[in-house]
Amino acid sequence: MTLVQVIVSGLLLGAVYALFSSGLTLIWGMMNVVNFAHGDFVMLGMYTAVVIWTALGGGPFAAVPAAAIVIATLGVLSYFLLVRHIMRGPMLAQILGTFGLALFLRYAAFWTFGADFKTLPDTLIGGSFTLGGIRFEGSRVLAGVGGLLITLLLHLILTRTSVGSRMLAVSEDATAAQLMGIRPQRMQALAWAMAGAATGIAGALIATFFYTSPTVGETLAILAFVTVSFGGFGSVLGALVAGLIIGVVESLSAYLIGPVYKDVVVYVLFVLVLWFRPQGLMGKA
Amino acid sequence: MKRYLFPGVVLVLAYPLLAAGYPVWERLGALVLLAAIGASAWNIVGGYAGQVSVGHAVFFGFGAYSAVVVYTHLGWPPIAGAPIGMLLSVAVAAVIGVPTLRLSGHYFSMATIAVAELVRVLSSTSEFLGGAQGLTGPAMPRTVFDLSFLSATPFYYIFLAVLAFLLGLTWWIERGRMGFYLRAIKDSERAARSLGVSAGRYKLYAYMLSGAFTSLAGSLYLCMFGFVDPESGFGILISVKMVVMAALGGAGQLFGPLVGALILVPLEELSNSYLGGRGAGLTFVVYGAIIVIIARFLPSGLLSLFERRSAKPAAKSEIASGHAD
Amino acid sequence: MLIDARNVTKAFGAFKAVDDASVTVEEGDILGLIGPNGAGKSTFFNCLTGDLPVTSGTVSFAGNDVTRLPPEARAKLGLARTFQVPLTFESMSVLDNATIGALLRHPNARDARARARDVLQRVGLGHLTDAPAKSLGTPGRKRLEIARALASEPKALLLDEAMAGLTPTEVREAIELVRRIHGGGITIVIVEHIMEVIVSLAQRVVVFHQGREIARGTPREVTSNPAVIEAYLGRRKVQHGAHL
Repeated sequence: MTLVQVIVSGLLLGAVYALFSSGLTLIWGMMNVVNFAHGDFVMLGMYTAVVIWTALGGGPFAAVPAAAIVIATLGVLSYFLLVRHIMRGPMLAQILGTFGLALFLRYAAFWTFGADFKTLPDTLIGGSFTLGGIRFEGSRVLAGVGGLLITLLLHLILTRTSVGSRMLAVSEDATAAQLMGIRPQRMQALAWAMAGAATGIAGALIATFFYTSPTVGETLAILAFVTVSFGGFGSVLGALVAGLIIGVVESLSAYLIGPVYKDVVVYVLFVLVLWFRPQGLMGKA
Repeated sequence: MKRYLFPGVVLVLAYPLLAAGYPVWERLGALVLLAAIGASAWNIVGGYAGQVSVGHAVFFGFGAYSAVVVYTHLGWPPIAGAPIGMLLSVAVAAVIGVPTLRLSGHYFSMATIAVAELVRVLSSTSEFLGGAQGLTGPAMPRTVFDLSFLSATPFYYIFLAVLAFLLGLTWWIERGRMGFYLRAIKDSERAARSLGVSAGRYKLYAYMLSGAFTSLAGSLYLCMFGFVDPESGFGILISVKMVVMAALGGAGQLFGPLVGALILVPLEELSNSYLGGRGAGLTFVVYGAIIVIIARFLPSGLLSLFERRSAKPAAKSEIASGHAD
Repeated sequence: MLIDARNVTKAFGAFKAVDDASVTVEEGDILGLIGPNGAGKSTFFNCLTGDLPVTSGTVSFAGNDVTRLPPEARAKLGLARTFQVPLTFESMSVLDNATIGALLRHPNARDARARARDVLQRVGLGHLTDAPAKSLGTPGRKRLEIARALASEPKALLLDEAMAGLTPTEVREAIELVRRIHGGGITIVIVEHIMEVIVSLAQRVVVFHQGREIARGTPREVTSNPAVIEAYLGRRKVQHGAHL
């Protein structure tokens, strides 16, 4: 029974990993840019939620959309002011530019909010409940289910709608897409908006059970990089599967071997995946 | 570039005299050189061969830990750990490099991040390495070999000698067959292989050499600071800083990493010394903004400013003859 | 026999891009590989150079079994190639591009440079040695690819659509260049779908269609072969239908 609980909580955690990685994979697949500021986007989503939720007294229904809007705006701004100009350049310029952006955002948050950890009071999200012998924490369920639904929604938008196919056309061949009457820049800006919204929501959901601090983005970014490379770049579904696997593997190894080793197991697994399947689980070869 | 060389050399040699009596500035000179050693070592594989490792902290950490471990467990002076760290790093580079160097572009970068994180987490669970608390070098100097000095000036000259040797070696490689081959691999691995370049082997050589000198930077770091923990040895920030410094100055160019270090290290150090707390936060905002602006307007690094000027006439004559072709 | 490819098959999943093709090239030949688009000639070509591993069959070069050797090992044995879409070393000068090729037989950079300069002169790029390679247009890049390959002092030069995208004048110049290279004692294999190029250059031709060899002989023989005409015309008919 406890093992089932461990697996369920791993899946709930994994769904959140999937959500905050989906924005990264979308951008990577769409324009071959790895956003080194991605973790800090999540961090700002967390702060947005905390501010709206506690300081301004809004509930989750105000905090989640607010985080989505704020980070989507940040994404679009980053695209127009920075990424658009560096994406054609050497790969190092991308790392340089997005890492500079990461520092900028991290220390802007530090300067504004200070270095203290902030958490949302447990009571806000309804404590915990028991179902079928398994104990659930309200905040984890909210985050996990929310993460799962929004990741699936993003996947459906990309694969089943005309906007999605136009974005795919731009990612395959921007010049050809332009000849077909698609405006690549608009599609790419839209991708940043969507990725930003997903990332913002992820941040708001994570803030319900995780501490918020200016440097939390670094930890989250590494996890997102691993999830995305694991799942295969550009594949939101890959990120979902990888996120769930990583969530479960982390929970299981923390339970079976010890909490210190959960990261070791995840990284070893990741290195093995790269060895045998360099393009990730669902990546294009 | 050449006409800056002589005054540059004089200034570099005389710097400690100018900074004498101002500990912050004495320290700063040594730190710039140390950062330049790390970034120049990274430059061999990341800049010349174009294999963007974001996990070089593995080697830095091996160097730092090797130095402190020979002190803690054997009682040797830390610097004696430097050659051990370099040899270990070459072996580790081979183990990491053989599978990961097959990966292309961002995948290689991500794999190196993951490996570095793996090593960081493992190091924090290892009692031999002092766990999450890390290890401390000699508190009091026992002999001169412990390299414990009152001022940073001796370190300045030690680092300068190492950097000069490393840049000399890089210059020699750059002009020979390996330098040509690394640049060819960076531009188009497939074309390079079609011309008989054993790309896998050359990338691995570059990675091992780069790892060895990054490890040396780590050992030197330990000698100066006398302390290392998983974060300051294997942390992702260590790796990223090497990449950023090289890219900022000009990756794949001999003096690129040094130029990057000359800009970033003073920004960081002086803001830490003169501003504390939130004030330091604000200067890091500026620091981030400067990096963004350089990436945006000079994507190939600051040294490309000089390059552009000298490349222009050749480009012009080409267009003219292109019509005749 | 310089190149001997026996029963080469290359499959991508269930699709056989090359199906049991056997081709031999004698020293001093100019062999043409032709066929409509998607006939498998480029795939076969890449199996010869080692860029693609074969699914089954063997390839030998100058008496060595090279079936399992990577491209760089084949290049060392004297097999040079160009690419359909030129893979120029963008960050280098024209001279440095050619130097990469020359370094294969002349490990000393200074010797390689001198050798590269000679080759550039020979292919008509002598006036552009110091120009950045990225400033070259398509004809210049195609020529530079040939120069680079020649600088590696090969026994055989494999040209993958070296004339595609050139104007008629440029094609004539390129044909002249290939003749001169052949005159210098280098065996040539050329993949091309411009018929005029094949007719004026090749001594022997192998025709591919849907992954299989359907004809071989002199250019005159194959162009009058009904199966070849069928393959080309049949395709044209389909294309025509698609337009309607």
